[in-house]
Amino acid sequence: MLRLEGVTKRYGERLILRDIDFHAAAASLTYLAGANGAGKSTLLRIMGGFTRPDQGRVIRNLPPGGIGYLGYETMLYPELTALENLAFWGKTTGRRLPKNALPTMLERMELAPFAHDAVGTFSRGMSQRLSLGRLLLGRPRLLLLDEPETGLDAASRALLLREVLHLRQEGAALVWVTHSPETWSLAGEIAGAVCVLLKGKRLSFTERPGECGWLRTVCGEQAGGGR
Amino acid sequence: MTYSPPSPASKGGCRAASPARSSFLGSRAAGVSMALALTGGVGMACCQWLIYAYAPLEIEMGLVQKIFYSHLPLAWIGMLSFLAVFLGSVAWLWSRKPFWDELANSAAEIGVLFTGLALITGAVWAKKAWGVWWAWEPRLTTALVMWFMYAGYLILRGLGLPENRRAVAQAVLGIAAFLDVPLVFLATRLQRARHPVGIMSSGDGLEPEMRLTIYACLLCAALFWLALLMLRCRLGLGERRAMALARRREEA
Amino acid sequence: MIRFSLVLAAKDLWLLLRGGAAFAQALLLGLLLIFLFSLAASGEEAVGGSGAAVIFWLASAFCQTLIFTALYAVEEGQGQRLGLLLAPVPVQALWLGKALAGLAVLALLQLVFLIALAVFLGRSPEAFPIQGGAMLALADIGIAASGSLLGALARGRGARESLCSILLFPLLIPLLLGAVRVSSMVLAEAPNPALTAALGGEIRSWMELAAAFDAIFLAAALVLFPFVYGEEG
Repeated sequence: MLRLEGVTKRYGERLILRDIDFHAAAASLTYLAGANGAGKSTLLRIMGGFTRPDQGRVIRNLPPGGIGYLGYETMLYPELTALENLAFWGKTTGRRLPKNALPTMLERMELAPFAHDAVGTFSRGMSQRLSLGRLLLGRPRLLLLDEPETGLDAASRALLLREVLHLRQEGAALVWVTHSPETWSLAGEIAGAVCVLLKGKRLSFTERPGECGWLRTVCGEQAGGGR
Repeated sequence: MTYSPPSPASKGGCRAASPARSSFLGSRAAGVSMALALTGGVGMACCQWLIYAYAPLEIEMGLVQKIFYSHLPLAWIGMLSFLAVFLGSVAWLWSRKPFWDELANSAAEIGVLFTGLALITGAVWAKKAWGVWWAWEPRLTTALVMWFMYAGYLILRGLGLPENRRAVAQAVLGIAAFLDVPLVFLATRLQRARHPVGIMSSGDGLEPEMRLTIYACLLCAALFWLALLMLRCRLGLGERRAMALARRREEA
Repeated sequence: MIRFSLVLAAKDLWLLLRGGAAFAQALLLGLLLIFLFSLAASGEEAVGGSGAAVIFWLASAFCQTLIFTALYAVEEGQGQRLGLLLAPVPVQALWLGKALAGLAVLALLQLVFLIALAVFLGRSPEAFPIQGGAMLALADIGIAASGSLLGALARGRGARESLCSILLFPLLIPLLLGAVRVSSMVLAEAPNPALTAALGGEIRSWMELAAAFDAIFLAAALVLFPFVYGEEG
């Protein structure tokens, strides 16, 4: 579904990523860890096609519009209402949505009562849930998550995890950059999750599925000392 | 860090993607640029003899006409610089080699300088020939507009944009500005023409001695320009290299 | 692709006209310009057709900077740009959408400016209605095409203010020269029939020039826009 071969990236003269090989298959879940400034977001952006690598190849086997991206930033327009935001992003997917798709999605994101409120008045959790709804409208086949759980309460976090794993069940490939120990602690329990550590400009460590326990220690260190 | 090996293209194109060993920073390129500078410089000095002793005095303009021997090379080579900016910009967008970015920037600096000098010498000429310092004449106006555009291009460099954004913005402007030049010229010509049209075309009434002199001036100025361009470009690449080395020491 | 551009343009228009300070800013700036010139001309001499044309196009050029800066700023606050880039359309569709939105706003502003010209300066279109309209359309298309390309360059905080004006105005000069020249004929008193033919010829050459400008910037935008907007800094 997505394959990186020998990807190298520099900013100016500074080397960020060196000779990265990576593969994400259908229905896979890859956690991507690494210290601040290790180049996780850059790598994710190269996967998404926003940043072009200096060397190497990015091969995507996806339908048009098949990539979804959810980061800390919600991509929502604060002046528009929740419904207007969903309507706009729904139209940009190019897919023909059923008539009640938008209200249903709001319902699913537990935002139905706020459909006509401007997003600028929303809390962090509400905005991020709406952003998740925006993402789901596009039915992405490859989902890139750049620490979307930051600043969410337990309920929103659970909803995020639930929906994302649901997408995976439907066959989407997930790449999840995260720092938070709570998310990591789940990683061990999710069957078939692959954990990758980005260190020294390389993907230096890859665990076999289901053996992500070691990351808890890594993340504990980073959460304590890194930020 | 890993460095791409110097490619066969590095003779003419000088691929300087790697800060390590770029042939353009090597001693041979230094020698070439010094030789060019010397030839051009000495040649320009000799041209003074051609200008004042060899070429005949023009009847109407008198001594002021001699400024033409500086004005024309400055204007033409200014234009050549902007062509270099255009080519460098296209090549940078295509290849992303820092060399092309430096080339475009160096050429723009020299082009703005030369065009500025051409405007000043042109104004002196205009004062004598038409009695005014400035006239809304197509070539003059075009040169002025170009000067504005490429001054903006240089300002872009200093705005502190992220490195890649800065380079993209400059490349896009370098291309757009050059595409705009013919339009500027046509537009100003639609207003009204006044320049001594068609100098250097057949039937411009230039004496053979004058023609030879202007050719010599053009050639020497072009050599000197090439030397300046190489030196400035090498300076820019050298700066990059120094920054990279400093950063590497920091990181280590 | 066209559908996507229209959706984007509609969203931007809605954002800009409903709550955007940029629209009000551009409107006020233009009106202020016209008002100031009317003060300057309130003595014995009225502002002639060419004076009115200069004011009109100066206001339009400033509006271009304000509008396109605002149009691209809309996509920056929450990383919306990345979302748009992921849409299953060529990147150029974004350029087209922004250009269409800018064109619509510009036309709206110019309508107000024309009314203001009539009110404050007593100048309204008198001659060459068809050619004048065509020239207006050509000039506006050129302004939108170039503005949408270069406005995308100016995205990001530091660059926003200074960038557009420095870059855009010199590039626009050929287009503005023609627009001013033709508009001054349109806004002046109708010439006698003998002159009309001659002026008509000149207008045609200006229109050809404007069309060439549009074509060049259209092509340049289609080629260059992906570099400008499609990749990260």
